[in-house]
Amino acid sequence: MRNVFRYANIYQKSMVIAISLMVIELIVELVQPVIMSKIVDEGIVAEDMSVIYGYGAILLGMTLFAFAAGIASSFFAAQVSQGVGHDMRQDMFRNIQMFSVMKIQQFATSTLLTRLTNDVTQVQGLLFAFMRIMLRAPLFIIFGIVISFTINIPLAFILLSTVPVLFIIMIFFMLKGMRLFRFVQEKMDRLNHIIRENLLAIKLVKVFHRIGFEKKRFIQVNTDVMNVNKKALWVMEIVMPIVHLVMNGAIIGLLWFGAIQLETGAHQAGELVAILNYATRILASFGVFSFLIMNLSRGRASAGRIDEVISAHPDDDATFKSIQGRLQGAVTFSEVDVQYPHANSFALEKVSFDVRPGQKVGILGETGAGKTSLLHLVPYLYSPTNGTIQIDGTSIEDWGNDIRRHVTLVPQEGFLFSGTIRENIAWGNEHLSEEQMIQVAKEAQLHDFIESLSDQYDTFVGQRGVNLSGGQKQRLSIARALAGHPSILLLDDSTSALDADTEKNVLQAIRQRACTTFIVSQKVSSIMDADMILLIENGKLVGKGNHTELLQSNPLYQAIWRSQQKEGGK
Amino acid sequence: MVDSKKQRPSIQTSRHHPPMEKSPKVKNVTGTLRRIWGYMESNQKRFLLVLFFVFLSSILALLGPYLIGIAVDTITGEVSSIHFTTILWMLAFVFLFHSITLALQNYWMIGIAQQTVYRMRKDSFSHVLDLPVIQFERTQSGDVMSRLTNDIENVSRTLNTAVIQLSTSLLTLIGTLCVMFWLSPLLTWMTLTIVPLMYFGMKWITKRTRVYFKEQQKELGEMNGFIEESLSGHAMVKLFHQEQRMIDTFAQHNRRLQKVGYWAQVYSGFIPKVMNTLNNFSFAIIVGIGGWLAIATNASTVSIGVIVTFTTYARQFTRPLNDIANQFNTILSAIAGAERVFQIMDQEKEEVIDQRKEWLGEMKGDVRFQEVSFSYTEEEKVLNRVSFHVQSGEMVAIVGPTGAGKTTIVSLLAQFYEADQGEIFIDGVDTSTIQKQTIRKQLGMVLQDAYLFETTIRENIRYGNIDASDQQVEEAAQLANAHAFIEQLPHQYDTLLEGNGQGISQGQRQLLAIARAVLADPAILILDEATSSIDTITEMKINEALGRLMKGRTSFVIAHRLHTIQNADQILMLRNGEIIEQGTHTELVQRNGYYRHLLTTQQMMFE
Repeated sequence: MRNVFRYANIYQKSMVIAISLMVIELIVELVQPVIMSKIVDEGIVAEDMSVIYGYGAILLGMTLFAFAAGIASSFFAAQVSQGVGHDMRQDMFRNIQMFSVMKIQQFATSTLLTRLTNDVTQVQGLLFAFMRIMLRAPLFIIFGIVISFTINIPLAFILLSTVPVLFIIMIFFMLKGMRLFRFVQEKMDRLNHIIRENLLAIKLVKVFHRIGFEKKRFIQVNTDVMNVNKKALWVMEIVMPIVHLVMNGAIIGLLWFGAIQLETGAHQAGELVAILNYATRILASFGVFSFLIMNLSRGRASAGRIDEVISAHPDDDATFKSIQGRLQGAVTFSEVDVQYPHANSFALEKVSFDVRPGQKVGILGETGAGKTSLLHLVPYLYSPTNGTIQIDGTSIEDWGNDIRRHVTLVPQEGFLFSGTIRENIAWGNEHLSEEQMIQVAKEAQLHDFIESLSDQYDTFVGQRGVNLSGGQKQRLSIARALAGHPSILLLDDSTSALDADTEKNVLQAIRQRACTTFIVSQKVSSIMDADMILLIENGKLVGKGNHTELLQSNPLYQAIWRSQQKEGGK
Repeated sequence: MVDSKKQRPSIQTSRHHPPMEKSPKVKNVTGTLRRIWGYMESNQKRFLLVLFFVFLSSILALLGPYLIGIAVDTITGEVSSIHFTTILWMLAFVFLFHSITLALQNYWMIGIAQQTVYRMRKDSFSHVLDLPVIQFERTQSGDVMSRLTNDIENVSRTLNTAVIQLSTSLLTLIGTLCVMFWLSPLLTWMTLTIVPLMYFGMKWITKRTRVYFKEQQKELGEMNGFIEESLSGHAMVKLFHQEQRMIDTFAQHNRRLQKVGYWAQVYSGFIPKVMNTLNNFSFAIIVGIGGWLAIATNASTVSIGVIVTFTTYARQFTRPLNDIANQFNTILSAIAGAERVFQIMDQEKEEVIDQRKEWLGEMKGDVRFQEVSFSYTEEEKVLNRVSFHVQSGEMVAIVGPTGAGKTTIVSLLAQFYEADQGEIFIDGVDTSTIQKQTIRKQLGMVLQDAYLFETTIRENIRYGNIDASDQQVEEAAQLANAHAFIEQLPHQYDTLLEGNGQGISQGQRQLLAIARAVLADPAILILDEATSSIDTITEMKINEALGRLMKGRTSFVIAHRLHTIQNADQILMLRNGEIIEQGTHTELVQRNGYYRHLLTTQQMMFE
């Protein structure tokens, strides 16, 4: 919650104005009963019309004044809340951009999205309400009692004594209710989960004749939901009758005591009327409290989630040391371990190999064996937990982010940004010329396809554009990677959706680039001509050598080769 | 060749409507209300009692300010027909009963609402499970999901509070008006002058807020899209060092959102101010004119007490006016939700169609399709006069391009669909005379996208046979080549799987599904072959496990890659809903037809 106020501080002036305007409104509302008592006592009882007109006019004028203040406060309060929302989103997004690939995995994509949108909206709403409604209720109660004291001290004491009682009642029930509602939410999630599972797996439920079992499971949770829901709602709904009872009791007390006082001539009728008026309005203010407490706790949770992102250490700042010139492309791994945060085993363990400039390296292994982790190490997207990686003899830590100028990676799911094909190819290379662009598109076997589109290189792709097939996305990603003239190219199974001919041509074109190439593939045929093949199993390097060497010595490689030979139908 | 992937349903949350949304559409209000009424069952009488208590508490709420007014008059000595202490006792009585009726009506209503919703949930869920599978393919399961969760939840929330609130607001409004007219028609008319002001004021504001809220929604949607893109492409952003560019683009979205958000909030901030000012206006009118009347007529038409009472009533009168519109919308949207739930319950159950004999004894697994046709819609036949015969223990491969009807054949066999024409015989018995459930008991299934339940690995395997012992579960896992990887998990067989088996690979999920089928020990096995996204090494393990599973059972394999089914006893080549070629691998290769053609194209791909 503190971070919210830190952000609000930037809009201090507007916030002060908004709150002052709100206080002006409040004062008008508070003064109303006083004026009304004057009208009663000095006007009606004294039968003086001029007093009624005079105070009536004041009353009307004040109402208009309060209206103007209320409308104006809307502008200032919105400026603060929208401004804070904007700043929070911007800071969060900036920080996320500076997270390393490893770090961003700590937050699931979906939670980052809700933090940037829903949670900020929640805080904005809270801030707006805070400046306009929330402060009002407690201020009204406090001022109302203070003014009551100026009118009639004994009567005001009766009013004052009820407030702490009401506070304790409200807070006790609210806290209890909120705890119960969290419980309700848990049970509801469970219930929705069962429904979801059954809808997704309806065929399994039927084939494995589990309908009875699933119905029983559902009824159990359904009963739980009903019972906690009842309890939570009862706790929340019992508050208002009790608050009413206490406050109405106070009103009876005021009337009774007021009557006694009046008999002794200690005050005038108007005073009693005014205090009664405050009493009923204070009662109404308490109605707002339940809303207030609920929103406050929700807003606090959101603010906490936002703070987690903003205060997370950005571990991959976009700064560059400037090591210029072209890279040779020699890569050396020695005893490299990688361990993900919160994981208890290594994703890669003691991996060592040596690649000379311009070599082609094939990587083969099961899903989850550590192939992608290995690729991510080369452009310093991950840093090794133990061991050293050297590129052209300089350690990867010394290269830092600069290495990304020379190394590029093509992911398996070719990735597109919303925009034109041209923008996607030139992404990261703003100075790419038309000829260069067409050249890389040809190398990626994509030029003919692009030419066939009505807008050619200016065709929109991505979220709101043309849908490209998996293979087209992969080729576009390859073209983008080639446009940067990398010295080291990493292909993470990025030709998997291409047909055999196209794949051969793409790989051929890459070959001619004479850059060091790492290719992860499922198909032995795509990598059998590599200078070195790395066989990875459970994070460990279990085979290293060229096709002929591995075929002679490595049983796992033999098995894969045999199975894929069969696939070929030979 | 990847078969069409099932779309995952998403839960749409439509909880927060922008204010003053147009009323939701309901087709049959009375019919739906009558059905909800039916769901109250034994609580119907109590519900009427609640309404009576709402009536009582509304009257008591009106009586309070009236009595206070009299009390004030008694003190000031204007009217003294009733003794002051009597009035105080009456007030105490009124207040006490007001709180009691409030508490009781809420207490009962919550009980009624929750029990009603409980029954609706139970019935709709159990009805959905009893629906024929084909229903799920017609309506998107995301839609069913949203009906069973959001729509029912909406009914629940409305029954809990909105019913009482709306009836209280209505009664208060009517009662207040009556009392006000009774006290002083003149002052009442004066107070009513604010109603048209309120109407036009709100209209002016909502016309504007609606535009800005819509625009805000649009901007938010665009920003969402951009954030999603930037998050999923995070590694790409890093690789091409485009961080600053992303931050700059985001800033543009952010500023646009700030701008429309600002105006939406400013205008919606006007609403309470207008309401409040009009309240204050009525206050000024009542006091000003009331005071003048009190003096001019020497308190014969309007007394001080009446003025005091009137100010309170005027407040009670504007508030419900605003609430009623909102509550009415809430209730309408809940009725619309209930109607959507009832629509599901009106669909015909599988078991209604299915008043047939049980399958008795063991199943040998001899399957014969005779001239079987099937279609979803009248125009397009999915299967057209398909006939084949599979002997007990044989392996049949079903191949063909996407949409040829491969999945339809096994869905018919699993009794998920009913054939339009033709018969399906198992062991010589026409299956349309047998209860679906009892046939399914003899079937096992391994689907392309192996679904895992959110429970332990052990219970997931046990799903195949609820009576299996822990030892049998582990034996099944061993047979399915799943034991080795399970042993490596942090809690082995007791590892909890979350979110449809996140954290274990596609191939491993497949192995668990096989273990499940092993445990079920079916006579007939249906396999939808794994997709190409599984790596070679895992695929080897899967194939080995499948080989063990299929031994001695009749098995139907939907194959996407032809090399895996070359040892099948029969291959059915489907195209456009018809079997165009049928025979063993060698026979079909020799025939030099479509199968041969497909085989060569696929070989090319793996060359």
